[in-house]
Amino acid sequence: MSVISLQDVKKIYELGDNSVHALSGVSLDIEAGEFVTITGASGSGKSTMMHILGCLDRPTAGRYLLNGKDVSNLPKEELAAIRNKQIGFVFQGFNLLPRTTAAENVEVPLLYSRPPMTTSERKSRALEALEALGLSDRAEHHPSQLSGGQQQRVAIARALVNRPSLILADEPTGNLDSKTSIEVMRLLQDLRERSGITIILITHEAEIAAYGTRIISVKDGLIVSDTPNTPVTSGLNLEGVPATESALA
Amino acid sequence: MNGFAHLFAIAFQALKRNRVQTTLAMLGVTVGVCALVTSMALAKGAQESIREQLLAAGANMIVVTAGNYQIQRAEGVSSPADHGSIESSTVNPSIAENSHRVLGRASLIDGAAPRFMKAHFEDDPMAIHDHPTASDRLGDSMAGLGSAATLTLEDAETIRSTISGVQFVASGVHENARITVVSDETKQWFTRLHGTESELPVIRRGWTFPYGEFFSRRQVLNKEQVMVLGRVVADRLFGQGINPLGQEVLLWNQSFEVVGVVGSRSWASQPVAGDDQFDAVYVPVSTVHSLLNLSKLNTITVTTKSAGETTNIAQVIVNLLRQRHGISDQMPDDFIVKSQAQELLGDGLSPDLARIVAGNLATMDTLTLEQLSKSLQRANHTMLILLAGVAGVSLLVGGIGVMNLLLLSVTERTREVGLRMALGARSSDIASQFIIEAVFLSFLGGLLGTVIAVFVTMSLEGVFQWSTEISFASIVIAIIVAALLGVAASVYPARRAAELEPISALQHE
Repeated sequence: MSVISLQDVKKIYELGDNSVHALSGVSLDIEAGEFVTITGASGSGKSTMMHILGCLDRPTAGRYLLNGKDVSNLPKEELAAIRNKQIGFVFQGFNLLPRTTAAENVEVPLLYSRPPMTTSERKSRALEALEALGLSDRAEHHPSQLSGGQQQRVAIARALVNRPSLILADEPTGNLDSKTSIEVMRLLQDLRERSGITIILITHEAEIAAYGTRIISVKDGLIVSDTPNTPVTSGLNLEGVPATESALA
Repeated sequence: MNGFAHLFAIAFQALKRNRVQTTLAMLGVTVGVCALVTSMALAKGAQESIREQLLAAGANMIVVTAGNYQIQRAEGVSSPADHGSIESSTVNPSIAENSHRVLGRASLIDGAAPRFMKAHFEDDPMAIHDHPTASDRLGDSMAGLGSAATLTLEDAETIRSTISGVQFVASGVHENARITVVSDETKQWFTRLHGTESELPVIRRGWTFPYGEFFSRRQVLNKEQVMVLGRVVADRLFGQGINPLGQEVLLWNQSFEVVGVVGSRSWASQPVAGDDQFDAVYVPVSTVHSLLNLSKLNTITVTTKSAGETTNIAQVIVNLLRQRHGISDQMPDDFIVKSQAQELLGDGLSPDLARIVAGNLATMDTLTLEQLSKSLQRANHTMLILLAGVAGVSLLVGGIGVMNLLLLSVTERTREVGLRMALGARSSDIASQFIIEAVFLSFLGGLLGTVIAVFVTMSLEGVFQWSTEISFASIVIAIIVAALLGVAASVYPARRAAELEPISALQHE
């Protein structure tokens, strides 16, 4: 069974008399454990696709099955629960809450879990996630005290804390220098290899897209190419990531 | 339970993060609550001080005197309907005719117009004989008004325990006595002796004790031979400024230990020789009873909790005593109940109080302290409403401040809201976060405002000598009002936040 199945999904925005076809019929199946990178120029419809895949928006037409369940027309509250449980988001700007410790940032998705968790449960889960990303010693640091790479790793820890089946990363390297970008990409690769989690990553850079196992190009709201890829593993020698803090810091 | 805990955790983290905003929003509520609590304290203080002054003037005092000698200026004025009325209890004329066949003889003694005695036949055994009564010849007090044996300790106890609204009851026996210092028998003083109970000092609010204190309830129960000297007596017996505590004095050849000296708190009524309060000595009523082998009381002094109830309670006491003494409807009282209000109006009222009264009421003549009390309470009530109104407005402004800051914060924190929604927050989670934040800050602001108000009122009291009183209720009210204000102020901003779309909120710059 596919983790994700889009069936002729369309998204049309009505702007006054004009209607903009952001997605004009996209069909796509993604299997568990795939590392899919979606590329496209701005305005190609990749962001809209991302929003629909992330249950942040609903398609105008077509069906979206997530883990076999049709989520195309669920009410807002149920979509919120799905985002909370099944999807981990990683954003371009990290989107960490300022003046809040790394541990508290990682805790945020747990605060909205149903049924609610106890405070101690939340704390231990958050520390566990930070530890998995080699950040245990940064748990009490505020985002402003962390480097860009560390911030993005906190964000990844937050995406993983509720043990989702899918990670959606929207230009995760957009705000990082190339060295740190490579480190983050290796980290995501490593995560997939170790836990078999499905990753969908959106980028406009071909070099970043090359880290995926499958590359999809989007243009004018349509998929123009969909090819398997041998992931790039070059760059630094990252054996043992994330245990070696020095490599990522 | 847990469901709430995590909402609080969210709100608390957000508040901690936005310290400046939190503080500013709190400030408005703090000022409002502070104003509210302070004005309530001032109003309550004013109310208390009016009450204090009225009570100090004796407005709430009722004195029951044994026996019933009443002077009637003209015959036939009284009627049976007067029975039991305060200050004009009279006998049925027919009874008076029968028992006083010698009316008019009084003119022989005082040379004035004939006076008509209306007396209870038990009061004066001489009354049934065909010659002037003692009172006719000597006047009321010399004839021993109050010496009739009609009041008992049980009467006092019944008043104390059965009538609601009664504050203190002190029974009294009054004699004239000669007091001698044991160590120097040349030092003697002839004065009034009051046998009374330990409650008397709380009834006589104007009292202060330069040395020692009043005898205790236990000393009364044990019939101890202890004595409290009036200031005048202490000065005469031991000299001015000498501490007489522990000295022995003789009364009826019995030795008494001096345990206290009573003086006047007020500069307006300084102890002088011959007055009834300070040229007097006080001993336990039980001791007097046991030494003199008596059981009667001359007086029962009662205070009421509220000056406004004095007349009603006086009437209840009349009815109670008539019933206890088995007096039928046709018979006159064998006691006199007097409330002190009218007696004291002449001299017990402070000038500023009198001025307020004169401004409020047309005729001073018909005024009683009770009316005065009521009218002052009304004026005070108006002031309370006014002050509370002003405080309410400032609280409202504080509430609008909270709302304004929350609205600003919704705009400022749009990205945060979007992020939280992306991470799984429902609209209701977002709304409750904002509401809890607002309630929390208002509550905290309310608490802080209360603390500041306590200091403000304390310094007002200290610097301006204003009388204030912070009641527990006013604090509770202020904090509840503040919390409700938080809810009211946050509903609109919270809805605005909850209605945000996650995508546009996330992309908000």
